[in-house]
Amino acid sequence: MTPTKILSCIALAAGLLSATILSAQAEDHTVTVWAGGTDESSHYRVDAIKLAAGFLERQAKLRGEDLHITVQGKTWSTWDDFKQAVTLAAESHTAPNIIVSGHEDIGPWSQAGILRPIEDYVDFDAWPLDQIYKNLVKVASFDGQIWGIPQDAEARVFFFSKPHLKAIGYSDDQIAALPERVRKGDYTLYDMLHDVKKMQDEGVVEKGKGFAPRVSNGPDYWQFYQSFGGEMVDRKTGKLVFDRKALTGMYQFFADAVKMGVVPATYLGTEWDTWHRGVAADKFGAWDGGTWHYAQWTKQFGMKDFFGKVQFSLIPAGNKNGRANSITHPLVYLLSTTGSDEDAALSAELITIASDPRINALHAISSGHLAIGSDEAKLPFYANDRWTSETTKQLLPYTNAIPNDARFGVYWSAMYKGLEAAWTGSSSVEDAVKAAETEVKSALGDHIIIR
Amino acid sequence: MAETTAALRALRPDTASRPAGGTRALEEPEATPRRRTSRLGLLMLAPTLLLLGVFFLVPAVLTGIFAFTTMSSATGISGGAYVFTANRLDALAGSGVPPETITELRTERAVVDAAGLAAAAKAGVDERFLADIKATLLGQSFAGPRDFKRALQALPNHPRRIFELKQAMEPFSHAILNTRFATRDQAAAAIRSVAPDIEPAVLDRLLSASYTGWVWTSENFVRLLTQPQTLRLCLNTVFYVAVTLGFSVAISLFLALATFYLPRRTATAFSALWLLPKITPVVLYAILWKWFTWEGGFLPILAGHLGLPAFNYMKGSVPTAWTIVIMVNGFVGASIGMILLTSALRAIPVQQLWASEVDGASRWQQVRRIILPQLKWPILFFTIYQAMSLMSSYEQIWLTTDGGPGNTTDVWALEAFRVALFDYTGNLRYGLGAAMALILVAVGLIVSLLLLRLFNFSDLVEQPRIET
Amino acid sequence: MRSRNFSSWPVVLILVAISLPILVMYAWLVIDSFTDTPPGALLPDEVTLSHWRFLIDPSVTGNVWASTLYTLIFVASVAAVVVSLSATAGYALSRLNLPCRRFFLAGIMVMHAFPAVTLIIGAFLVLQFAGLYNSLAGVIAIKAGMILPLGVWIMKGFYDTVPWEIEMAGVQDGASRFTVWRRLVLPQVWPGIIALSILSGIETWGEYVLPRVLAPTTDFPVLSVFLNEVKVPDSVNYNFNLFKSVGLFYTLPILVLFVFFQNRLMTIFGAGTKG
Repeated sequence: MTPTKILSCIALAAGLLSATILSAQAEDHTVTVWAGGTDESSHYRVDAIKLAAGFLERQAKLRGEDLHITVQGKTWSTWDDFKQAVTLAAESHTAPNIIVSGHEDIGPWSQAGILRPIEDYVDFDAWPLDQIYKNLVKVASFDGQIWGIPQDAEARVFFFSKPHLKAIGYSDDQIAALPERVRKGDYTLYDMLHDVKKMQDEGVVEKGKGFAPRVSNGPDYWQFYQSFGGEMVDRKTGKLVFDRKALTGMYQFFADAVKMGVVPATYLGTEWDTWHRGVAADKFGAWDGGTWHYAQWTKQFGMKDFFGKVQFSLIPAGNKNGRANSITHPLVYLLSTTGSDEDAALSAELITIASDPRINALHAISSGHLAIGSDEAKLPFYANDRWTSETTKQLLPYTNAIPNDARFGVYWSAMYKGLEAAWTGSSSVEDAVKAAETEVKSALGDHIIIR
Repeated sequence: MAETTAALRALRPDTASRPAGGTRALEEPEATPRRRTSRLGLLMLAPTLLLLGVFFLVPAVLTGIFAFTTMSSATGISGGAYVFTANRLDALAGSGVPPETITELRTERAVVDAAGLAAAAKAGVDERFLADIKATLLGQSFAGPRDFKRALQALPNHPRRIFELKQAMEPFSHAILNTRFATRDQAAAAIRSVAPDIEPAVLDRLLSASYTGWVWTSENFVRLLTQPQTLRLCLNTVFYVAVTLGFSVAISLFLALATFYLPRRTATAFSALWLLPKITPVVLYAILWKWFTWEGGFLPILAGHLGLPAFNYMKGSVPTAWTIVIMVNGFVGASIGMILLTSALRAIPVQQLWASEVDGASRWQQVRRIILPQLKWPILFFTIYQAMSLMSSYEQIWLTTDGGPGNTTDVWALEAFRVALFDYTGNLRYGLGAAMALILVAVGLIVSLLLLRLFNFSDLVEQPRIET
Repeated sequence: MRSRNFSSWPVVLILVAISLPILVMYAWLVIDSFTDTPPGALLPDEVTLSHWRFLIDPSVTGNVWASTLYTLIFVASVAAVVVSLSATAGYALSRLNLPCRRFFLAGIMVMHAFPAVTLIIGAFLVLQFAGLYNSLAGVIAIKAGMILPLGVWIMKGFYDTVPWEIEMAGVQDGASRFTVWRRLVLPQVWPGIIALSILSGIETWGEYVLPRVLAPTTDFPVLSVFLNEVKVPDSVNYNFNLFKSVGLFYTLPILVLFVFFQNRLMTIFGAGTKG
């Protein structure tokens, strides 16, 4: 807090105090909101709640009530810190009223009793919640209950550098047709490897910079698993699925990429900043990222003429078994068990107002995320934005999400560990798959189906 | 890490000059007559014992206990509750629980009957709303809460807020699905209310399946023993400790000797410079190294100008990453070692050196024949102590390479920290992390016992000489 | 004796060579905080004070002064706890008759074997139980607990070197043991107390993990956490020179200590004799 802020807080507190003395009816509420993985462009995760509080206060005033809501927001730029803080705070009963986190936390946190099912507090049959995309609501549900309200949606995107594609002989039309070819499965990940290899051979891009996937663990890598035919959850039983063949295909793909020299063996763990700068300076042949990166590149990293420089598509299929795909990783507003039922009801009301298409669109456009509901997609403000509208059309229909299963974390870590091992060459692809299999088998037993 | 020096300080002056006589001391326990306990002593010791007990010993013991549990962020730390959810019940299919019972527990029936109305009135539900319910819905039953909710919302006087509506629905509900019960007895009573003639064995099974908290297990250790990653971590840790230690000892010995022989001014300047790694806060120290070796940092730019391969040395290749990890930690170690060995050097009687000089010994001979033999024990002490510190250190690696590239520079302590407290997916496995920590403690205990034995603990605990 | 049969310049040369990383890192720490360097160059081309704006403008990084105050409270409290407890316990263990004295001493020595990482989860639970989680007081207690074993050892070492005659004389004059300690013995171990204060001060000033994990959302972060937040990954506001300015500011108290005690610091860290 800054001194001015402290001063204003003191003034506010004093003001509130005198107000309470004057009118006994005045109701004061403090609602705390914590958001993880939030940088400057996504400040609306908290600010939307503040806006909602303003609306609620005005509504109360019209009813003749005197309502004061103080929203205390705190954001973390990373996930590990944030999740640790939420978990420990919940344990000490000081968790915030509203948690903005990834939907995959619903599994463990609902088991631990950190969360209240939000459907007990809001009406999904009433506007604006009834127009939220059903698949997103499903992502915010777990074990038969709806736990959260989707805060944003995104798709993960495969990017190609247009100038570099041209340099190896692609015509404008061919480049324009690329996304469709990817979608149909005509253009696979291996075609991509050959193309970027060609770019490197012809000196268009530097060695080892042909392909620049995500630098750290994240949902992105599960897309490549799906590209090789993998499924994360069995549709019938709802159990997790470990698909040996798909995983082998995926590990092999990255091992091959390293062997071809289009990505360094030590690539994982590169600093995000380096990656962003590389993208903004058009140094890579192909890369994958998220829709929200668009906002960062154009606003923070000074990337100009994005649409002239970059072609984008789904993540290509890896082989005949797989499909082109994209994973959406919606953040959700969650209600914690901290505080009274009254506090929770108020927080839920704030979240509902914050899910108003106009308020949510502020976040979508500011941070490059996608609309959470059909009404929001219709807003001119949203629809006129080229990036969000194009990605909504091209990618969103083909997205799926990672499972909310509390056990998925183990599988997730094991998959990434194996990937690292195969990628850095510290073990063979077969051994890496075997190690991952042993790990999930010993940790999850019957809860995972091995194929 | 200042511990080393200070601990040696406490061990002096014996260490510099004399090999351990641990066995001798153990063989002749002083046949001291019984002495009166000093009450003042207890009083003076009490606050320390209290603080250490509460904020050191209790956490340590708790860690030992956690190591044998399945504790994670999903189970919570302080205990669980009993809850039946759809997934949990489905998972019970074919485990000896009769399917009817499962179906029974899975239903979410709501019935509008007189008893429900009475209970609702007692719970303070709005009278007009209750009158509505009685008039239109009495006698009806609903398959699930969502249907019931919609039916209630069709009534004229239904509450504006969903939360109040849900509270009004509660008395009519006959389901225990998704209800959290704080104790086993409450959960058992709830099960009996829907399935009165349940067998005790089945009830037991249901209850343990519905428990959300942690349970006892030795699985953590089995897992550590069987997973292939363990070997990799052990090898990494051994490599890291051994090489860093070698580096620190060599550099600190050189520094101590050099500053011993150099003119006073030069010596002071260098020893002051080498104090910096020790006293700089770890966050700044780590970032300085980043700046030094990072892409766009000092070394890569310099290398670029010289036409050498320039890349992010800290994460760009395994050999450079290890080199940097070893230097980052080795410099701190050298800092401590220098301080320690310098003071040991100063304790060597200067006459011996003069004498050798008169005999025409060269500096090298002087170092080898006179100084090194006398530094044997300080060096050994430093080595063992520093090995212990390195084994459990992770901050510097965490803040620099973070175990990368891949997991090539990952070590045991860092992995324990990550498993227990720092995970991208938020899946904090306290139990497993505690088990990893416990193994570290075990190794540390063995090493420190070795240390105590080698350095003749008994001499340090000389008996008081005044009787009051 | 330090001259004749060896020439010092090869040694100095090697010394300079192995010290280069430290020299460069710390020299540029100071240089960069006052200058701007064009990308890809080693030497700056412009002198500026703009990296120090964070001192007066909280919008740059947050309120650094509040964090400084917080850190000072943290450091002073830990030092106070550690010094006062070590001074009493060290004396008791050094000079007074206690049951299980050997056991205490061995136990305190062995406590070093416990790596901090093993304690954090348990510490969290204890703090939560005591209602101290997410408070500075909790972090102070845990940090003090971690330094205390060392502190007791150091103080015991210092008491051990005090001649018995001083106490004998006091006791024979009829003073109580407590008075003897306070009036006669304590003044003898001042160097130890100063050494321990500085040592615990430096350790605490640099502490990072404990506040970050055990007090993540206190009003103001301590400086180590504050500093690490200056460099937010994934953001362009990331500015190495700003970071270095904040870093320099953060290290300044230690550097001042360093300049004033330069000669003594070695002895303080080392033998601690004759402080």
